[in-house]
Amino acid sequence: MPGFSSGGVGGGVGGPASTPPRPFRPSRYVPVSAAALFLVGSTTLFFCFTCPWLSDYLSAVIPFYIAVVFLFTLANFCMATFMDPGVFPRAEEDEDKEDDFRAPLYKTVEIRGIQVRMKWCSTCRFYRPPRCSHCSVCDNCVEDFDHHCPWVNNCIGRRNYRYFFLFLLSLTTHIVNVFGFGLVFVLHHREQLDTAHAAVTMAVMCVAGLFFVPVAGLTGFHMVLVARGRTTNEQVTGKFRGGVNPFTNGCVKNISHMLCSSQAPRYVGRLRGPQKAEVQPPFLRPALTEAQLEAKVLDNGLQNDRHSNRSKSSLEQLESQSADVEPPPPPKPELRYPGLPRADTEESSLLTVAPPTPSMYKYRPAFNSPSKNHTAHAHPNKMMMMMRGESLDTPSPSILQSSRQPGYRSEPSSLDGAAAPGRGAGPRRGGGGGGERGEGPGGPVVGVHVGGVAAGGVSGYSLAGRSYTSYPSSLVLSAGGSYASSVRTAHTPHSALPTLQSEGTTDTSYKSLANQTPRNGSLSYDSLPTPSESPEFESAAHELSPPKPPPHCGFHAAAGAAVSPPPMGGAGGPLQGYTSPFLSAQIAQQREGQLFQGSASFSSPHRAYLRAVSPTPPSSGPPETHQLLQHSKDSAPWSPRASPPSFFPSSPPSSSSPRARSLEPPVSPPPRGPSLGKSQSYGAEAAGAGQPKGRPAGPGVPGGGPRAPQSTSRPGSSNHAISKPGGGVKKVTGVGGTTYEISV
Amino acid sequence: MATEFHNLQELRHSASLVNKVFVQRDYSEGTTCKFQTKFPSELESRVERTLFEETVKTLNNFYAEAEKIGAHSYLEACVACSTAYLVFLCMETRYEKVLKKIAKYIQEQNEKVYAPRGLLITDPIDRGMRVIEISIYEDRGSSGSSSASSSTSGSTAR
Repeated sequence: MPGFSSGGVGGGVGGPASTPPRPFRPSRYVPVSAAALFLVGSTTLFFCFTCPWLSDYLSAVIPFYIAVVFLFTLANFCMATFMDPGVFPRAEEDEDKEDDFRAPLYKTVEIRGIQVRMKWCSTCRFYRPPRCSHCSVCDNCVEDFDHHCPWVNNCIGRRNYRYFFLFLLSLTTHIVNVFGFGLVFVLHHREQLDTAHAAVTMAVMCVAGLFFVPVAGLTGFHMVLVARGRTTNEQVTGKFRGGVNPFTNGCVKNISHMLCSSQAPRYVGRLRGPQKAEVQPPFLRPALTEAQLEAKVLDNGLQNDRHSNRSKSSLEQLESQSADVEPPPPPKPELRYPGLPRADTEESSLLTVAPPTPSMYKYRPAFNSPSKNHTAHAHPNKMMMMMRGESLDTPSPSILQSSRQPGYRSEPSSLDGAAAPGRGAGPRRGGGGGGERGEGPGGPVVGVHVGGVAAGGVSGYSLAGRSYTSYPSSLVLSAGGSYASSVRTAHTPHSALPTLQSEGTTDTSYKSLANQTPRNGSLSYDSLPTPSESPEFESAAHELSPPKPPPHCGFHAAAGAAVSPPPMGGAGGPLQGYTSPFLSAQIAQQREGQLFQGSASFSSPHRAYLRAVSPTPPSSGPPETHQLLQHSKDSAPWSPRASPPSFFPSSPPSSSSPRARSLEPPVSPPPRGPSLGKSQSYGAEAAGAGQPKGRPAGPGVPGGGPRAPQSTSRPGSSNHAISKPGGGVKKVTGVGGTTYEISV
Repeated sequence: MATEFHNLQELRHSASLVNKVFVQRDYSEGTTCKFQTKFPSELESRVERTLFEETVKTLNNFYAEAEKIGAHSYLEACVACSTAYLVFLCMETRYEKVLKKIAKYIQEQNEKVYAPRGLLITDPIDRGMRVIEISIYEDRGSSGSSSASSSTSGSTAR
């Protein structure tokens, strides 16, 4: 039981994936013990000293009523304390076959049309489902994580939120009862206040009065949360500020779901099921016709095209343009399952084939780069994004060749039912190619190809391929405009990767980095000032200021792709920190464009990279992160801030994830590339949105300009070049004080 | 000839785990439990698409039934409240009942459909309801080369 696990018992229950034992920390039990003591002690005193008189003087029903309320409070308190909040068991090794450091840190999924980011949990080894968060106190990922409550010494999550809420309600009622009836007693014993009974009653009243204010406040707060369908985590991190909450079903339904839904099952500590069926050869095989085989090559069985891969359009274009493609390298032998392509992992199934060398994805030199590329190409169904350890050195040809693959550019296909629409589209993975190109010194050259192609808002692949090895850990990769890939820079030290997330793309930030710094941000009240990993949602719209004309026309990615900056979108309104975490599709697309801009070239120390100069210094942690993300979005690849002063000057360590700021949704959906389809993917949208002016969504700097000043405070609003440090380099201030240099 | 029989018998009992496919959750409609019905490419040559989709759709229906909020769930909530949740000690919740049905269904599907094809489905509840894990087995007797080549060719074909 999470509530009272102690010593080595914590991980004992359940199967192999249960949590490891945690050290015994007595200090954790102080608040819960105090709470229990006050509750039980005060009520007992009340019953002993006040209730006899009440039953005599008023009615016998009163103590009975008070007792019922008290028992109800106690029951809920116990349930909230001892019930498993919805802990996810650790993922088994097989789910994450690929090396951590090569996997993107984020995956995007679309929920009711809103892009939601799922972050890789390095401790639990899976991508956190929406609304899930990792509690650092309990060291577990919790489903529908609300907060960690020290007063019950337990996380509040999906399974026990109802009991926690009822505990608050009943406790408030109980406090009111005790105070009220104690007051009646005292008023009737004004002349006998020196008696023990009156003194005790007054003491109990004091305790009750003291606790009434915070408890009632918390109760009111949670009433509002339930009505709005939010969790504390989401509320405090401002995920839906000004945005749309995809998890709400309306006030009445939210309440009924919270109170009356069937008790969710626990995931850890379950009894093993019945014996598995025995698998013995010979095995039946379905007949495969030629047509099926051929179709197999072209179509990944994507059934729902809703998400038509954001970056598809750009990918398609890229593919069409790629003239020469090198043959894919031989597949790397599967470590765990010899003879199998490495892409067959959970993550790979989630992600489209990754580009061979997207600089954004690689944080470290990939060990398996050749195979990665190969697998990327080999599996059209896979996301184009190379998640893990794509070799950074993959030359542009790999990109081109990836473009041939009918891969998915972004992962959404596996993530959501819709899956990247582009999946099935034959050799359309130009976007993937684009992404792949991230690596390698030939970035700019490569970028040209990619940029041009990535009109469709391919998720952000950095235009200028730069080997990741040169990236500092805190590199921020923003996919170039048309590349919608979510760029998550690995920001290991801060565990906040300000990666922008393009639709359905896994962030480039790497799991490896995330795994290095296990940030289990649990949003306990104690840690409210520095929310941990919460902002997984990209608050796109709000944070972005109204569309601004691309500050620098020079938003030309090194690749030379001219990406029209995504329209700032309908002014989401000034947003601080994380505003609406959920991006509308349009925003996502815009962001993709921006991401593309800010991608890979991050490692490039040269001016060639566009950087948006952020006009406003980040006001707080999350905003900074957002700003950073926006920066990345706005700017084309920019030199890593890390090398100079930390890129995110004030990003608080706990604020984890560099959640991409929400992009402003464009006022009207921008015209999309053909491959965009209906899903509002970042990539596509970004590409499309990025070009209200009709500029082709080039990779690289699509939205750099308009996006740059997305923070609410856009002092400089500048997407304009602030200075010209070098020859032909414009400086643009992005959100959060980041300066972007744009080569003109 | 006796040697051949011997080899066949050996082959008969060899099936080695070759790969695992993970069917992810479909979050397009929110956090309700639903799995993607997209047919994984790795299973192209192993099982018919319709069978797979049928399995996943049935599972999705089960989960929808478990999470449905209706008269049954209201009643359960009221009873639980009124007994100070002590009823959970004796009675099974609706969700647990459906999970048992699901486990039975998966067992049956494994026996009838998937095991004969060298596949095994793992109950998603064992993975925290995040994925449906499908293990792919190969005939060890047919030697790893064939499986490797098939997988390689399959991958290139993709």
